[in-house]
Amino acid sequence: MTEIQRMVLRRLRNALITIFGIIVLNFFLINVMGDPLTLIGHSPRTSPDVTDNTCLRLGLCARDINGKVYELDLFQRFLAYMKDFFTGNMGTSFHWQNTAVLDVIGPALSWTFLLIGTSTVITILIGMVLGALSAQHRGKPLDLATTGFSLFFYGMPFFWLALMMQLSFTKPEFNLHWWPVFPSSQEYDFSIAIFDWTNPSNIASALYHLILPAATLALGTVAGVSLVMRNSLIDVMTEDYVVTARAKGLAERIILRRHVLPNGLPPMVTLIALDMAFIFGGAYQVEYVFSYRGIGWVTIEAINNYDFPVLQFVVVIGGIAVVIANFLADLILIKIDPRIKVA
Amino acid sequence: MAFPSGSVSYWLRRRFGISEVRREKFVLTMNRLKEITNSVVHHRMGGIGFAILGFFVTMAFIAPFLPIPPPEHSFLDSQGNQLQYLQPSWEHPFGTDQMGRDILSRVIWGSRVSLLVGFLASVIAGVLGTAVGLVSGFSGGWHDEVLMRINDILLSLPWLALLIVLAQILGGHLSLDVIILTIGLTSWNFTARVVRAQVLTVKERVFVERAKASGASNATILRKHIFPNVFPLVFANTILTVAVAILSEATLAFLGKVDVGTLSWGVVLHEAEASGAALNGWWAWIVMPGLSLVIVILGFSLLGYALDEILNPKLRER
Repeated sequence: MTEIQRMVLRRLRNALITIFGIIVLNFFLINVMGDPLTLIGHSPRTSPDVTDNTCLRLGLCARDINGKVYELDLFQRFLAYMKDFFTGNMGTSFHWQNTAVLDVIGPALSWTFLLIGTSTVITILIGMVLGALSAQHRGKPLDLATTGFSLFFYGMPFFWLALMMQLSFTKPEFNLHWWPVFPSSQEYDFSIAIFDWTNPSNIASALYHLILPAATLALGTVAGVSLVMRNSLIDVMTEDYVVTARAKGLAERIILRRHVLPNGLPPMVTLIALDMAFIFGGAYQVEYVFSYRGIGWVTIEAINNYDFPVLQFVVVIGGIAVVIANFLADLILIKIDPRIKVA
Repeated sequence: MAFPSGSVSYWLRRRFGISEVRREKFVLTMNRLKEITNSVVHHRMGGIGFAILGFFVTMAFIAPFLPIPPPEHSFLDSQGNQLQYLQPSWEHPFGTDQMGRDILSRVIWGSRVSLLVGFLASVIAGVLGTAVGLVSGFSGGWHDEVLMRINDILLSLPWLALLIVLAQILGGHLSLDVIILTIGLTSWNFTARVVRAQVLTVKERVFVERAKASGASNATILRKHIFPNVFPLVFANTILTVAVAILSEATLAFLGKVDVGTLSWGVVLHEAEASGAALNGWWAWIVMPGLSLVIVILGFSLLGYALDEILNPKLRER
């Protein structure tokens, strides 16, 4: 076995352990720190006579041979949860009555992917160009302006950025007149089921409503990409082979394309993978402010309504997605960066 | 006020029975601290960060003495109705909120909770992260494996969902101490990673080997040789963590997950959102608390990066 194969195997093992840990921790987060049944009892939406059903549905209770309902202890519940999870039985939502968890999550997830996909493409393109320009003009006004812009947006909370966008771009009587006016998503007409893929006449409207949330998310994440791009390129630009290339009299453009970019890009792959968790967190807030019915909106609804099955699944799915993204980033990095031999 | 240096040392000796050697060490430490403070202030980024934080911390401290109305006071008109949603004017520079309270006063008082949560939560996170990083880096083996996997797991979980779930479960109702604990418990990962990496390099240095050879116990090596070498990094990182903690609190509060009656910038923004300020064009209500938040976060980031550059020997050599 080569060194690289061994490294990939080790990463794979770590990723699997982490995924397993996420699944287990998810259970204990919800079950050890508070009794779900008591918490459910607090919910105004659950009436006492459904407690038995709720109990069975959550996997907190089981029927014995006579069909009598009895409570399971923690370990039995854990086994039941693990079995359910690996057999793909995610249970039924409490809040959206009689809807399977997967049917709640599925559509929401597709809307979130649309939002995150759009904004990530914008972010990567703009961020890389800004970072490259900034690195090329290091120390000049353009660089200072870009870096200042990035630092300012870097620590900005997404929810505030979303509010500011709403403030400036939505109501025609309040925003600056030369800016285009977008519909605020708080004004969706939910009676026409706008968040519904099956109705093609809604798609155009849905996409129109996508512009502001996607722009917000992109504006919030572009700063990190451009800062890292700039630093990574500047690191490369001071290497000997770039000095040599310049001494040979190559044009700046060619140096950038042939010598700097290929060596400066690998860190970006890791960054974008690591950023996935951050972007998801941002998407939660943006969706909340714009009432955009994605996974973040569903999560917050689930928390507010003590909808444990949905919540459990959202947390697990989010965690696993991040682990897989990181693992893939490692693989790509090994593939494209010849310098990596042993980490 | 200038103390003659002799009197301080006299006081220290009388109070703590501090020996000459200890005193010299103390003076050395103080000098080093002064040096660092000087270089932070003269560092371009650090100076700006220092000024920003100085301004906001002062504001938080002197809030009770400023000529502003109490933050919970509702202004009434002659009929006894609350003066809601007033636009900025001389009397109310940032306008009033849904209960006729002065927003400027609420923003100034709100700095107290935001900063307090930031500091306390990052202290918890700093201590936890340092402990994990030290143990993980120094002992290696399966301790390291277990701690790093836990770190991975916490880093991968959706941060906001984790925060809200943990807060909901820890407290039921989200008082300030629960919020601080929650944020502290969820933001130590980065510090742990940085400390671990640093411990791994320090561990291989000659002076550690010599200490080992002369029979020092592991605890002594950690305390006397490794910790002092990672401390600057911990310090710089904790400053950066404060920014994260303030952001976390603001997000939780904005989502309405903080006790009613708490007053922080996030709460003011939550009330603005709940009243539809963005759609009604009440700009000052959104811009002012948010801008304070962004500027304070920027201040901590600048200070953190400057400290990192000054204290981190690797970056200093460049």
